[in-house]
Amino acid sequence: MPESAAHELMLFGLSFNLETLEMTWMVMAVVVILSIVATRNLKLVPAGLQNIFEMVITGLNSQINANMGKRGALFAPFLISLFLFLLISNWWGLIPGMSSPTNTLNTNLGLALLVVVMLHVLGLYYKGTKYIKHFFEPFAPFVIIKLIEEIAKPITLSFRLFGNIVAGELLIHILPKLLPNIFAEIIPGVVWLAFCVFVGVVQAFVFTMLSMSYLADGVSDENE
Amino acid sequence: MINIDGTLLAQLINFIVLVILLKIFAYKPIMKLLHERKEKIASSIEAAENDEKKAKQTLDEYQKQLAEARVKAQEIVDKAMKRAQQEYDASLAQTKQEIEQMRQKAKEDLARERTRAAMQLKGEVVSVSMAAASKIIAANMNNDVNQKLVGDFIEKLDKDKLGGLSC
Repeated sequence: MPESAAHELMLFGLSFNLETLEMTWMVMAVVVILSIVATRNLKLVPAGLQNIFEMVITGLNSQINANMGKRGALFAPFLISLFLFLLISNWWGLIPGMSSPTNTLNTNLGLALLVVVMLHVLGLYYKGTKYIKHFFEPFAPFVIIKLIEEIAKPITLSFRLFGNIVAGELLIHILPKLLPNIFAEIIPGVVWLAFCVFVGVVQAFVFTMLSMSYLADGVSDENE
Repeated sequence: MINIDGTLLAQLINFIVLVILLKIFAYKPIMKLLHERKEKIASSIEAAENDEKKAKQTLDEYQKQLAEARVKAQEIVDKAMKRAQQEYDASLAQTKQEIEQMRQKAKEDLARERTRAAMQLKGEVVSVSMAAASKIIAANMNNDVNQKLVGDFIEKLDKDKLGGLSC
């Protein structure tokens, strides 16, 4: 959590936060290992971890189909990965000595920008001039509101997640300092951790669902 | 924490790498499996429906055959009963006819016997009468007259006595 100069790495004139990168790599490793373990021995009758993965994938897939239509299947791996990565990231900070990769704007804004850039690129690719035209509808002055909306998208997306996770982790660190001894901290600490687990799921889901609905604007076929 | 630097780009690359890895390790095999399972369930349901249909068809066939067999059995029984009745009637009629024939024959025989007996008796009576008469009158009468006399007598006898006899 506490940042120090030792965690900074300068490369090509850019500074990189090594702690965030290390945590991200760990989370990535966990997600990939879990997915390998879950799918290593796939059976027609699912059991254990395979069940959880199938549940996540089929659940998100049905949402993607409902929101994005036929082209949604192309973005299913992206959105499912987003959800799994955010879920494990949000929970990662709850492990003592670890911090969430999502407790920094670098990760959250990066992902949010990725979603928004994807939205505009895909919108132009699939709809062409019609996509540009929709910014000026119902009449030209609306372009101001539409542009504010588009700028707000990555900001709200990233700050929502950032705020929730940072608040959770900060309070985990602050609680022991507010309370007189470790015994007094047990109940609020455990309750707060449980709440953070819940918040982690909710925020991962919210980020994924919002990304999905943003992408649906650019991707969904109006003729469907 | 809130400062934005090169980490953002690194995170983007990290995430894209993760998407590729997850697509290979999780998404593709699970989607393949889900597809396989879907197909298997669909084929199982189809097979079950086919089996059910077949079973129902067989049952219908059996029931139809059973009904047919029942009808046929009833027909056979009816026919047999009818034939038995016919045979019984026929044999009864034949027996009746035979009895009737026998009775007729017996009647005829009886009549013939009676006639014969009557004729025989007539002859004997004639000769006995002749003998008696010849002895009684002891006269040499004309044979023709004798015959006529006795014949008339007998005729009278026939009419008065013999005809009244019950036989």
